[in-house]
Amino acid sequence: MKGIRPSRWGGQLLHARSCPATIPRRNFLASTVRCQSTVPAPAAEDLIEQIPEEGETLPRKLPSPLPERALQSAKLAALHSRLSLSKKIPLQTLARALVTPSADPNSSFNNANLAFLGSTIINYHVAEYITCKWPRLPMAIHYEALRAFSGPESLAQISRRWGVEAAAAPGEEVDPGLLQWASNSSALVGTRWGGYVRAETDRKHSFYRRGMSSRVVLDNDFGDAVDAGSVKDAHQHHQDTSFSSFVQAVVGAIYSHSGREAAKDFVESHILSRQVDLSSLFEFQLPTRELAMLCAREGFEPPLARLESETGRHSRTPVYVVGIYSGKEKLGEGNAPSLDFARRKACMNALKSWYLYSPGNKVRVPSDMMEEGAKPWKAPHIDIGEVI
Amino acid sequence: MTVKALRAIPSGGKNGLGAFILQCKKLEFHYCDWAGSSKGMNGFIKSLLPKFAAANPQVEFSISPRPGKHPVITGHYINGRTKPICVRNLSPYEILEKLELLRDASGEKLKRANKAVTSTKPSVRGIWSPYHGKGMIV
Repeated sequence: MKGIRPSRWGGQLLHARSCPATIPRRNFLASTVRCQSTVPAPAAEDLIEQIPEEGETLPRKLPSPLPERALQSAKLAALHSRLSLSKKIPLQTLARALVTPSADPNSSFNNANLAFLGSTIINYHVAEYITCKWPRLPMAIHYEALRAFSGPESLAQISRRWGVEAAAAPGEEVDPGLLQWASNSSALVGTRWGGYVRAETDRKHSFYRRGMSSRVVLDNDFGDAVDAGSVKDAHQHHQDTSFSSFVQAVVGAIYSHSGREAAKDFVESHILSRQVDLSSLFEFQLPTRELAMLCAREGFEPPLARLESETGRHSRTPVYVVGIYSGKEKLGEGNAPSLDFARRKACMNALKSWYLYSPGNKVRVPSDMMEEGAKPWKAPHIDIGEVI
Repeated sequence: MTVKALRAIPSGGKNGLGAFILQCKKLEFHYCDWAGSSKGMNGFIKSLLPKFAAANPQVEFSISPRPGKHPVITGHYINGRTKPICVRNLSPYEILEKLELLRDASGEKLKRANKAVTSTKPSVRGIWSPYHGKGMIV
């Protein structure tokens, strides 16, 4: 977890800008003369001077709708109310949360800052929840669990379930209640947040320095190497990051306007309430060896596989039930059509029940201490993680 | 390091577990100023609709004339489906009932629920296995 100070970033976001000051608008028609005017026509040289070059003629179209149009949008008001957002969060901020950097690269009008603030808050709350609720998870599983809760695909799914629709193309004239993103834009969406671009990305050695420690230090919040460009399905990736940036920006807006506890409640009710099956994330390569190492580490007796029951040994579909015992304690059980595979499955089940130990559903997390009148902190048990 | 992680994105949250999102996102009203079948609809739009819209801010309302046609209310839902209901010759209060039906619908196709409870959690008791226990002695 990197040291962050979100309280510093909130201040500038509290003011919704009323007018785009940076984009110059030229009133072209004011400088021309009407055809049937009685004013004598200017000389030919003047006319030539007045014809502007191509590209400058019309007033430039804004890349995103004006902030004051947010108050007239029925879609935006409905979205604000559907999410049960507080009255403290103005509609202009919600409209800004819907403008992604791919639609409007100007960071005074897009959601980049809000989304960065929101992503740190979301990832912090999800990470502390995972760490306290499943204290023995290996780091690789921890990263994937984090991604299952708050990865771009999951957040994009959440924003679709909120009923957010994307505009066909971003622009000044679209309804401010629609998500604005462009798939062909070259602007980076979110890929530059967190982590460092590795020095070896150019060398095409994908297996060089891919240990867990280097992933913790160098890579982003989900343990992925920061590397712009080499995405398999670029359109889908772009779409997911755009939709997920809206969820992050909403959390950032709640943090800025309503404070820390409201943001935490929002994250708990919308993101942490999803059901994630962690037991489906494991992939074991040497389960028997790992279980033997675990028993040696914890001082248990070495594991022993025993055949508990079998049926149809000479038939086409035999079933063996194998239990793994450490002394008199039964660690796990598995059934499979071959003896060896049944033993492996029993080991996997034993390892999963070790790694997925949970102290209960109501675990205290460190951010609970920020509430007023919180009981003194009792340090939870956090295991050292993977066995081998 | 023999444990590797597989990537799995959860299939979706359960609405109402944690937060509830009203599934009806837009209600569209079509009416005709001239036709008799729209008489109740016109009265509804004048008398009851402002209160209903104020009480349901999470829904977007849009009203548009459709001359020479029967009045229709259409609900648009988050899952992308729509539900149109023709409200010709209905009185304002009958239309209000239809409107509440549309607002409370989930947008899914209607299906018969055979079980009282549908759960994604595994059963506490476990599934019966033929390979465990002593079996039944006949």
